[in-house]
Amino acid sequence: MPFGGADSLKPSAFIPVCTAACLLVGSTSLFFVFTCPWLAVNISPAVPPCCAILFLFVLANFTMATFMDAGVLPMANEDEDKDDEFRAPLYKNVDVKGVQVRMKWCASCHFYRPPRCSHCSVCDHCVEDFDHHCPWVNNCIGRRNYRYFFLFLLSLTFHMIGVFSFGLIYVLHHMDELWKLHCTVTLVVISISGLFLLPVLGLTGFHFYLVSRGRTTNEQVTGKFQGGVNPFTRGCCNNLEYLVCSPISPKYTARPRNKAVIHVQPPFLRPEIDRQRQMKVRDNGTQRQDLQNKLSDIKQMNTPPPLPPKPDHSPPKSQLAVVDGTTSEQQGSDKGPDVRSELQKSPRRSSQPAGLPVQTNTISTSMQLNSLTLNSRSLTLKHGNRHGSKSQLPAMRGDGMGSNPPPGIISSSSLLANQSSSVSYDNLINPSDPPFLPQRGAPPVGYHPHFLAMGMDGSVLQRPPPRGYNKTSQGLRDGLCDLASQGLTPQKTAPVRYDNFSKTIMASIHERREVEERDRMLRLQARSQALYDNTRPPGSRGPTPPAYGSREFLMSTGILGYGMRTSPLSSSSTSSLTRGPKTSSSPLQSSSSSSLQSKGRSSSPAYCPPDRQTQPLPSSTSTLPRLASSSTPAYASYATAKRSSLPYSSEGKDAVALGALK
Amino acid sequence: MSTFHNLQELRHSASLANKVFIQRDYSEGTTCRFQTKFPSELESRIERTLFEDTVKTLNNYYAEAEKIGGQSYLEGCLACATAYLIFLCMETRYEKVLKKIAKYIQEQNEKVYAPRGLLVTDPIDRGMRVIEISIYEDRGSSGSSSGSSSVSGSTAR
Repeated sequence: MPFGGADSLKPSAFIPVCTAACLLVGSTSLFFVFTCPWLAVNISPAVPPCCAILFLFVLANFTMATFMDAGVLPMANEDEDKDDEFRAPLYKNVDVKGVQVRMKWCASCHFYRPPRCSHCSVCDHCVEDFDHHCPWVNNCIGRRNYRYFFLFLLSLTFHMIGVFSFGLIYVLHHMDELWKLHCTVTLVVISISGLFLLPVLGLTGFHFYLVSRGRTTNEQVTGKFQGGVNPFTRGCCNNLEYLVCSPISPKYTARPRNKAVIHVQPPFLRPEIDRQRQMKVRDNGTQRQDLQNKLSDIKQMNTPPPLPPKPDHSPPKSQLAVVDGTTSEQQGSDKGPDVRSELQKSPRRSSQPAGLPVQTNTISTSMQLNSLTLNSRSLTLKHGNRHGSKSQLPAMRGDGMGSNPPPGIISSSSLLANQSSSVSYDNLINPSDPPFLPQRGAPPVGYHPHFLAMGMDGSVLQRPPPRGYNKTSQGLRDGLCDLASQGLTPQKTAPVRYDNFSKTIMASIHERREVEERDRMLRLQARSQALYDNTRPPGSRGPTPPAYGSREFLMSTGILGYGMRTSPLSSSSTSSLTRGPKTSSSPLQSSSSSSLQSKGRSSSPAYCPPDRQTQPLPSSTSTLPRLASSSTPAYASYATAKRSSLPYSSEGKDAVALGALK
Repeated sequence: MSTFHNLQELRHSASLANKVFIQRDYSEGTTCRFQTKFPSELESRIERTLFEDTVKTLNNYYAEAEKIGGQSYLEGCLACATAYLIFLCMETRYEKVLKKIAKYIQEQNEKVYAPRGLLVTDPIDRGMRVIEISIYEDRGSSGSSSGSSSVSGSTAR
C-alpha cells in the first residue's frame, strides 16, 4: 500500500470503511439467517423480501458513496496559474445572486476554488460542492455523490429500525429460550443495531436539516452562512428536489481524451479593425496623433538623466514624479491612462495590449514589491524546473528590501518603455525567458534595471544603486527596450529573435544571467529569513504555500527557516487571511475528535461551530511553529499536512468528520 | 508522441503565443455558465460577435444539461430501481450533452477559430472551471521547430 500524499491510500484509512462494511453485511446476514424465517412464518411472509430490498438499496448506495468520484477538480495547467502567481490576492470575490462569496486560492491545485468547492486534505484534491470527507466510506462526499450518501443514511436508518424492531419482536416472543443460538444471535444483532441506531439517526436528521437549508456540512461547520444569507439555497422543497432529481454531473478526471485533430496554420484571418489599423500605419504616419505622441516620447527617452553617483540625479520629469514612493501609486495611475490610450491606438504586432498590464503593474509595483519578492521566490522554487531562467527572479529580493527609489524607477522606466516599445522596440522581444514572465508582467519589470545596471557597466552590482541610473543614455534605452519587450510580450515562447538586438544587449543579458545564477545560490540561504520579515500588503496572497511548505523549499532553506520565524506576519497581511487556518479538514477534524470521545452525540459537534473558530491549527506538522494568527504557517502547515503523511496519520484516523458514528 | 497532439496538430509555422481563460460566471449560483465578456487579448484576433456566440451556445448547452425536469427525474428513478446498475450500460443525460458540446467545439474550432489562429479547449478538460483559448502566432518563415514542442508541453496533461 503506497504511502502517498493522499492519506486515503494509507492502510489505516481502510479500517473504518471495512468495519462499517463488515458490521453492515455481517449483522444483516445474521438477521436474515436466524430471525427472518420465524418472522416470515409468524408475522408476515412479506417481511423478509421487504427487508432484503431495503438492504439491497443500502448496499447500492453505500457502494456508490464509497466508489463514486465526488466531483474532483483536476489540478490546473501550468499555463493557467501563471497569471495568478505573482501578485494575485488570496481571495477573489465573486457575486452569487447578489451575495459576495469569496473564492480562495488553492495552493495545491493552482486555481481559485469555485464557490462551495473545498480542498480535502485527506485525499489531496479539490472537490466541487464539498460536503465532508467520510471515513466510513473512505471517500469525499461532494457534488456527485452527495445524494447517494444521503440516501445511504436514510435507507440505513430505516434498515436499522427494521432490524431492531423485528429482532425485538423475535426476542420478546422467545423470552424463555433466550440462550438458544437463534435468540442469542438475534440479541447480538439488535444490540449492534440499537447501539448504532441513535448516531445514524442523528446524522440523518442533521443532513435533512442541511438539505432543507441548502448548506453543505463544510459550510455548516465553518459557520459560513450563519448570520447571513445563503445564496445557494433554492428553498426547502427545491433543495430536496435538487438533491434527488438533479442530473448527475460528469466526472472531471480520467476522461476519455478527445482524439480530434485540428490544423492550426497561418495565414490567420484577422478582424476588420486590425487590418484597417495596419493599413494606416503604412501611410505617412506623421499626421497621426499617436505617432506624434510616440515621437515625443522617444525624444523624452533620448534625454535620460545623467548617471551621477550621487543620490540626487535629474531624471526626466515623468520619472521624477514617480520616484517618490508614497505618491507613486497616484501618479502611476495618472500616467496609466495616457500610456494605455497611446498603446491602444498604436498598431501592434503582438496581440497583447501591454499598456494595461504594465499600468496595473506600475500602480502596484511600489506597494507590492515585497510581495513580488516573496512571490518571485516561490516562483523560483516552484517553477525551477518549468522555467528556463531562474536567475533573474531572486534579484528582486535584493531590490525589494525596502528602498523606495528602485520601485519608483522601475515603475517610471516601465512607463517609458511602454511608450516607446510600440513604435520600434517590438522587435526587441526576447522570448527566450517567457515562462517566468507572467501575463501581467509584474516581476520582470522590477528586475531589469538591476540587470542592466550590471550589464551596461560591465561590473557586478548586487543591487541597483538607489541613486538611480548609472548607465549611459544608450544603455538606458536598451535597458528600457528589454523592459518593454519582457513586460509586453511575456508569453512569447517562440525562439529568441536576435535580429535587432545589439551586441551590447546580448552580452549584457548573458552576463547578468550568469551573475544572477551565482548570486541566487549565494543569497538563497541568507535571504530566506529576511523575506518573511517583510510586511506584505493586505490581501496579497504572498508566497504560494506549497513553495514554502513544500519539500523542496524546506530542504533548500532548512527547517530553521521556518523555526526562526518567531514573529507572525504583520497583522495587515493576516487580517485578510483569517480563514487561512480554517481549512476544510481542520474544523471537521476538530469536530470529529470531539465526537469520537462522546459517542452518543454525533450530531452535537455540528452544532457547535464557534468552538472550531478559536481552535489553533491542528498539529499536523511538526516543522512549523504554532502561530495562531499567522497565515504563512497556516499555508505551510496546510501544505505539509498534505505532503507529509507522517504527522498526519493521527489526524487522519480522527478524521471521522461529522459522519462520526454512523 | 501522438498523444501530445490529440487536440491539435501544428504546422511548424504556427506557435503557441498565449492562452486566454474565460472564467465561470457564478452570478446565478453554481450552475455552469461562462462569462461572455470579450477578453482584450482576442480583440485583434476574432470578432466579438463570433466569440460571444460561441460562449452563449456553450452556456445554453450546459443549461440544458443541468436542467431539472422530467428526464432527470426519470433517470434518477430508473437508477434507484436498478440499484444503479443502469449506469453500467447507459450514459447519463449530462454525458450525452457533453458529447454534443464536444462536437460543437470541434466544429467551431475547425470553422471559426483555427483559421484565426485560435483554439478552444473543451471546458470539461479543465474541470469546467475555464474555457481555455490558445492563441497562436504566425512565425512566418523562421522555421524553428520549437513550436510543436511548446504546444505539446501544454497539452501533455
